[in-house]
Amino acid sequence: MDQTFHITEDTSRPVPVVSASGEIDVATAPPLRDRLQALTASGRSTVVVDLLGVTFLDSTALGVLVGALKRCRESGGDLSLVITEPRILKVFEITGLTDVFPIHATVDEAVGSAE
Amino acid sequence: MSTDGQAGVVAVDLAIPVKADLVVLARLTAATVAARAGFGVEDIEDLRLAVEELCLSLVRTDDDGRLNFAFEYVPDAITVKCCFEPQPGWDGAASGVVDDLSLRILDALVDEHGREQRDGKLCAWLRKRRAPSTV
Repeated sequence: MDQTFHITEDTSRPVPVVSASGEIDVATAPPLRDRLQALTASGRSTVVVDLLGVTFLDSTALGVLVGALKRCRESGGDLSLVITEPRILKVFEITGLTDVFPIHATVDEAVGSAE
Repeated sequence: MSTDGQAGVVAVDLAIPVKADLVVLARLTAATVAARAGFGVEDIEDLRLAVEELCLSLVRTDDDGRLNFAFEYVPDAITVKCCFEPQPGWDGAASGVVDDLSLRILDALVDEHGREQRDGKLCAWLRKRRAPSTV
C-alpha cells in the first residue's frame, strides 16, 4: 500500500468528505489540520473524514481529529470517521476515542448518518 | 549495527536532527530491528508507533538539536532509548510534557517505558517483549 500522504476533498455530497491516505504523523498532520480548519471556517460544521487509505496514525493525528471534532460540535455539527483497518482502529480503541467519534465502515454510511 | 560485549545483544545507533519529516527514520529503524529480532507483523507495527510516541514525548518539532537513539535487541525483547541533545547555544528546553494520548498509546503497546535525566539530557526509553509464538 502507498505510504505517501495524500488528502482529497469531495464537496459534491451533502456532507463534505475529506479523504486521507498514507501515513499521518507529526510531519503530515498539519496539512490535514489546515484542511479541516478551512472547512469549518467556511461554515461546514459537519464533516466526514475518510481514513480508509491510512496506513499509520500517531497521537499528533489524533490531536488534529479531536480538535476538528470540537470545532464541529461547537458549531452545532459533528465529525464522523470512516475506518475499517484494524491497525488504525486499534489506535482509537487504546486511546478511548472510539467512544468519542462516530465511526463508520463506509463513506456512504457515514454521510447518510451525518445528513 | 553491532554485536556488543554482552552475549547475544545486538545494538543499532541512530542520530537524527529534530525535524518532523525525519522521525520516520526512527520508525523505519525500529521496524528493521524488530524484524531481525523475529518479531511478528503486529508487534513490529506496535513498535513503530511506540517509537514515534517516544519521540513526541521528548521534543517539539521546533526544538533545536538531535535525537540520539539506541536500539538493542536480545532474543526476546527490544529496548529503545532516545535522548534529546540540544544544539549548543540553544536556550530552549525539550518540551518535557508528555501528551496524554502519547502516554496511553505507550502504555498499551509496550511492556515498560519511562523517562529520565541522563548526563543532563532528557531521555525516554521503552521495552517490548516478543509475543509468544502461537504455532
